Amino acid sequence: MSITRRRALLALAFATLLAAPAVAQQTTASEAAHDHGASPAPASAPAGQRMPAPHDAYVYIGWPNDGEVIHSTRFKVWFGTRNFGVAPAGTNVPDTGHHHLLIDTPLPPMDEAIPNDKRHLHFGLGQTETIIELPPGTHTLQLLMGDGNHVPHDPPVMSKRITVHVVAERGVEPVASSKQ
Amino acid sequence: MGRMRIAVSLAIGLGLPVAAALAGPSPMPPDAKVYIIWPRDGQVIPGGKFWVRMGLSNAGIAPASVDKQFTGHHHILVDTDLPPMDEAIPNDKHHLHFGRGQTEARLELPPGTHTLQLLLGDTNHIPHNPPLYSQKITIVVPQ
Repeated sequence: MSITRRRALLALAFATLLAAPAVAQQTTASEAAHDHGASPAPASAPAGQRMPAPHDAYVYIGWPNDGEVIHSTRFKVWFGTRNFGVAPAGTNVPDTGHHHLLIDTPLPPMDEAIPNDKRHLHFGLGQTETIIELPPGTHTLQLLMGDGNHVPHDPPVMSKRITVHVVAERGVEPVASSKQ
Repeated sequence: MGRMRIAVSLAIGLGLPVAAALAGPSPMPPDAKVYIIWPRDGQVIPGGKFWVRMGLSNAGIAPASVDKQFTGHHHILVDTDLPPMDEAIPNDKHHLHFGRGQTEARLELPPGTHTLQLLLGDTNHIPHNPPLYSQKITIVVPQ
């Protein structure tokens, strides 16, 4: 495979992955019905109602573990989903949703679209893992499923909120303070 | 000029004539990868009941009913070789479909040595181009 072709394909994949968040980041977090990109609006639950989820559905963070000490500022997080399916944003298949990774933030309101910013990462292609970069310090991570319109289900399908400790890699200066 | 070259490369990348016999029509990024998170290759599983955790990098999961680029759904191949890469994956006890977008599955296998392999399928259950399949692993269920 030529380098050019590989680069073009990568660029295409990357553009697709980034398209939705890039658009949504221009809106403010408090807008309940913000536009997440080019996807047509799915036939979702009527306003004020949330998509139902089975009571045994749950998500969890497969890695890292709660309390994990991570010796890198860049690491993989993988998303576990049980008794529930994954679907891209903009689709409306019962008992499915897409992952949102909440970083260093409490849960958002359950009756509106999950904010889209650097503390609320959207995985609208239906991704089941990601690689994130966090500065050295203590951080919290939590998964929250959203429906086709990024609204949490009823009951919400979310993981435990875990804490991880990112330790500076050798040769990397620690950040003076990780407090907000 | 550069843009044109990218467009041409893209056409080659997404085009079918070269790879038509080797893969289905749905493209996947070249760095996409499917793998079995658990069990590990060689794992011994007393009782034979276990969850298979399915991993996917640089692509997305979608239910079978959804047709969206760079997504697919998992299939677990149990005790069988890869099927043809340009046809719908068979649907039987050796080819388990997870068309609701599942990423984990509970399996129960009898005592003996078994193989497991993942193969991603598109909305028509046909492998992608390039096809995404995991390493074939072996597990052992003791008597």
